[in-house]
Amino acid sequence: MIEVRNLKKTFDRDPILKGISFNVEKGDVISVIGPSGSGKTTLLRCLNFLTPSDEGTLVFDGKTYDMAHTSKKEINEIRKKTAFVFQNYNLFLNKTALENVTEGLIIARKTDKVIANKKAEEMLEKVGMLERKDRYPSQLSGGQQQRVAIARALALDPEIIYFDEPTSALDPELIGEVLEVIRQLAAEKRTMIIVSHEMNFVRSISSRILFMDGGVIVEEGSPEKIFGDPKEERTREFLKTYRR
Amino acid sequence: MNGRLWEIFLNSFTRILIPGLLVTIPLTLLAFFLAMIIATIVAFIRFANVRIIKDICRFYVWIIRGTPLLVQLFFAYYGLPILGITWNSPFVCAVVVFALNEGAYASETIRGALNSVPEGQIEAGYCVGMSYLQIMMRIVLPQALRAAFPALMNGLIGMVKDTSLASNITVTEMFFTTRTIVTTTYEPLLLYLEVAMIYLLFSSVLSKLQVYVEKKLNAQVGKE
Repeated sequence: MIEVRNLKKTFDRDPILKGISFNVEKGDVISVIGPSGSGKTTLLRCLNFLTPSDEGTLVFDGKTYDMAHTSKKEINEIRKKTAFVFQNYNLFLNKTALENVTEGLIIARKTDKVIANKKAEEMLEKVGMLERKDRYPSQLSGGQQQRVAIARALALDPEIIYFDEPTSALDPELIGEVLEVIRQLAAEKRTMIIVSHEMNFVRSISSRILFMDGGVIVEEGSPEKIFGDPKEERTREFLKTYRR
Repeated sequence: MNGRLWEIFLNSFTRILIPGLLVTIPLTLLAFFLAMIIATIVAFIRFANVRIIKDICRFYVWIIRGTPLLVQLFFAYYGLPILGITWNSPFVCAVVVFALNEGAYASETIRGALNSVPEGQIEAGYCVGMSYLQIMMRIVLPQALRAAFPALMNGLIGMVKDTSLASNITVTEMFFTTRTIVTTTYEPLLLYLEVAMIYLLFSSVLSKLQVYVEKKLNAQVGKE
């Protein structure tokens, strides 16, 4: 479904991505792990063109895009098939939970208001936020905001959802409720790429793990292989720091 | 207070208040309304980094902020006619000058507020498929105007008082009228105190209004 070839990105002469290549098949749950600064977030942002790439090819549903030279039209075409869940939720602060979900449907997709509202309520129900649909982000906890953000992503019927450290900004006691929602999506075989530091979670839901360090994919494989029998020394070192 | 002073005070009260209601207030509201339109457009252009026009906007802000309002009024009313630019009335001239003046200051207020809206709001908009203009109009600008509101009200209250400068270009607003009364009654202490009180009254009404509107605006984002 998605194929990324030789993706490169440099910030101020500091290479962040040094040629990333991987494939995503429909139904894959791919988790990207690795130390801070390894380029995981930049990778996701480049995939959705929030950060422009310096070089790279993206094949999405059989169509090939030059990631360094994409037109606005092409970017919109790709974004229509994707959704993004941010580390700090980024709910629209001047909109209620419901409006956050309907905004993209009504304004960008020109969906009929009644249909959009119905769809939004369905999605809020799915993440357990229907009773709070009229609350503003400032009236919701971090975990609740992130669940609304996931509903907002789901409402767009994306072919793939990118999660950028969805629980890193949350208080420990709120992490579970968000992971539970993502686990449910994985069970539904939704295609997702998740950047996360929640090793136990990642291990239990992923179909494949990418371990990144220093702007490259150091090792790639099934959770059993990466966590049970990693080949690379760097992978072992990294996982050791998480098993204290 | 002796009877003569009291009588002057009462007689002049309506004589000052009426031009206040008929000239000072309309002048302020009209100029401020135009100023808000100018300020929003200028702030928007500078925020979005539109080439060339952005530099024109910066030049405008530089000129207006760098010269006295009184000089701007004199330049427009007495100076421009020499270049063939004439005004229908001093009132129109005053509206234009006050609008351009406040527009420059307020554009900086709004620009700052636009910059204070987190970048993530724009990114989230892109990710749900909205265009830049849609994001600005529906997400960023409403949040920015809410943040800028107290500072913009400052500008409005300041303008109520600054309109007294328009008396210098023969606009018959409150202060102009007061000066006229002083020349016939020779009671500057009493009359300038009186007009000061009326300015204070107008400003107080606006301050009350500010508190009320702020509450409404906060309710819109779910804050107490």
